Amino acid sequence: MTDTSTSTTTAATSAADADAAAGADTLADRLAEVWIELEERLAHVPVLRRLADGTVTIDDYQRLLFNLRQQVVDGSPWISRAASNFDIDHFELRSAAIRHAEEEHRDFLMIERDYVAIGGTLDELRRGRKNVGSEALSGYMFTYADRPNPVGLLGAMFIIEGLGAKRAAGWASRFQEVLGLADNQVHFMQYHQQADSEHTGDLEAILISGIIDDTAADEIVRCAEVVARLYALQLEELDR
Amino acid sequence: MGTTATAYLTGFGRYLPGDPVDNDGIAARLGGDDPVTDRIRRRVLEANGIRQRHYALDEHGEPTELNEELAVKALRAALDDRGIDADDLRMLACATTMGDVLVPGFASMVHGRLGGGPMQLLTASGVCASSLSALDAAAAKIRLGDHPRAAVVGSELASRSLRQLRFDGIRAGMDSHFLRWMLSDGAGAVVLEFQPHPTRPSLRLDWVRHVSLAHEHDVCMRSGMTGAETSVGRTWQDVDITDAEAAGMFVLRQDVSMLDELAEAGLRQFEELVDIGLVDVTHLDHVVCHYSTNVFRDLAFDGLRRRIPTLDTDRWFSNLETRGNTGSASIFIALEEAWRTGRFAPGETVLLAVPESGRFSFAFAHLTVVAPPDQQGAPT
Repeated sequence: MTDTSTSTTTAATSAADADAAAGADTLADRLAEVWIELEERLAHVPVLRRLADGTVTIDDYQRLLFNLRQQVVDGSPWISRAASNFDIDHFELRSAAIRHAEEEHRDFLMIERDYVAIGGTLDELRRGRKNVGSEALSGYMFTYADRPNPVGLLGAMFIIEGLGAKRAAGWASRFQEVLGLADNQVHFMQYHQQADSEHTGDLEAILISGIIDDTAADEIVRCAEVVARLYALQLEELDR
Repeated sequence: MGTTATAYLTGFGRYLPGDPVDNDGIAARLGGDDPVTDRIRRRVLEANGIRQRHYALDEHGEPTELNEELAVKALRAALDDRGIDADDLRMLACATTMGDVLVPGFASMVHGRLGGGPMQLLTASGVCASSLSALDAAAAKIRLGDHPRAAVVGSELASRSLRQLRFDGIRAGMDSHFLRWMLSDGAGAVVLEFQPHPTRPSLRLDWVRHVSLAHEHDVCMRSGMTGAETSVGRTWQDVDITDAEAAGMFVLRQDVSMLDELAEAGLRQFEELVDIGLVDVTHLDHVVCHYSTNVFRDLAFDGLRRRIPTLDTDRWFSNLETRGNTGSASIFIALEEAWRTGRFAPGETVLLAVPESGRFSFAFAHLTVVAPPDQQGAPT
């Protein structure tokens, strides 16, 4: 993760920090920059490029579900862990995390249904391990969630829920278009458009609620940067 | 939303038990070698045009296999053809006129013998068109995305009920002779998937249409009842088994006087497919038609050609003369042979047509030959 693009990001963040100090850049603007960079990176992820080109195969889709499942199964646990580390002064964030963890903790079952519906078996899926990107992503999330009041994780939510709300349904319909899949085979990606749009709405409310001070804002942006990079890495490193 | 997947036929198999039996070998297996029966048999054979068929009977007429064994062998052939195992299936739809046992359903017995993992089952019981009912049901589940792979089999072991012991002491008219010297054994199977075969052409299933006209027709083909009307006391389960047998209830019969009407009704159903646009006669390349005897071949062929002037005998396929009339298995046994012998080319369309005399049912399926994905160019 010490490649040139990350260095560039760090430089950009420092510049953004300077702007923030001058009161020029809001948290939303800074997150938007992280998002734009993520989108650029995703455009070069092989499986997503094949999806856009229309050369994606059913095997690609199956591998993608396989790889996502191994990390998504950890989604609710790291959010729960974060919830348990918010003290009473962060009661709103604790509530939001508990709610969110509950909503997410069956998500991997949707991936499992889709995986079986395209011919995979539950047995092989459940015996699978995380790819190196998922290991890094999951490890980072659990470590971060262990901190007292891990406010920065709002940045992780911004990335992960953003992908669900803004990209997943597009991926679902493109997979359907290219591979002729039924709705029953793309539950996970279709569902996330709606569910994650609600979550990102909740997130935006928190971000503008005034409970985020400058230090917290820096943490959120930094966490978003790391998660964006690791999420893309997870998609780049399928099966590795 | 409501986006569905597409069903493709990707594997084909058949099983015909034993060596082919020519017309002179029938009596050794089914009996009926008295002069009168012999004369009737020759007449029926001349009319139906069948030159050879297969029986799951040895040369003395003793059964050699079960119907469920025929089904499993055809399924294994189809799975091998596709290069997958029974473990890869999530649904098995089985069609037959009569299974080996009364209970449980035929598909349960076939699944038990075939093996594989947990799967959805369907037993489509009927007569000749039941195999397309089974195909339709399996294809619907594939399209819904409920199952990625299914297998469909049509299987018949009629010969057991055509043997002499079923006819001893029974008054058997033309209604039973016609079938006795026409029906034989076999099974045909296909594999259905939501994706085309990765490296070979597949048959895309465009639609299946199945229409019953039982509301306006009496029973034509029957067993287990006396006469054409059912009522309490006139079905085999209402009376003592020996009385039912003595009454000839276990003999398969067909009211041959209704067959012209059946052919006409079938042609009307075909005309309707053309009229509502399901069949585009300018783009129909092949017809695989099930018919019981060559008499109906000519009738059906002429009827279809009225609407498809370009239809010639090259585009018309049946293997009735060499594989016999295997009821519900026939259409898959014919399709398998047409496919294996390379009659179809990518882009061409195929109509399957199955009239069922039982109580006037008509099933049609429309298929399009598609090239493997790597030869199709950029997907749309």
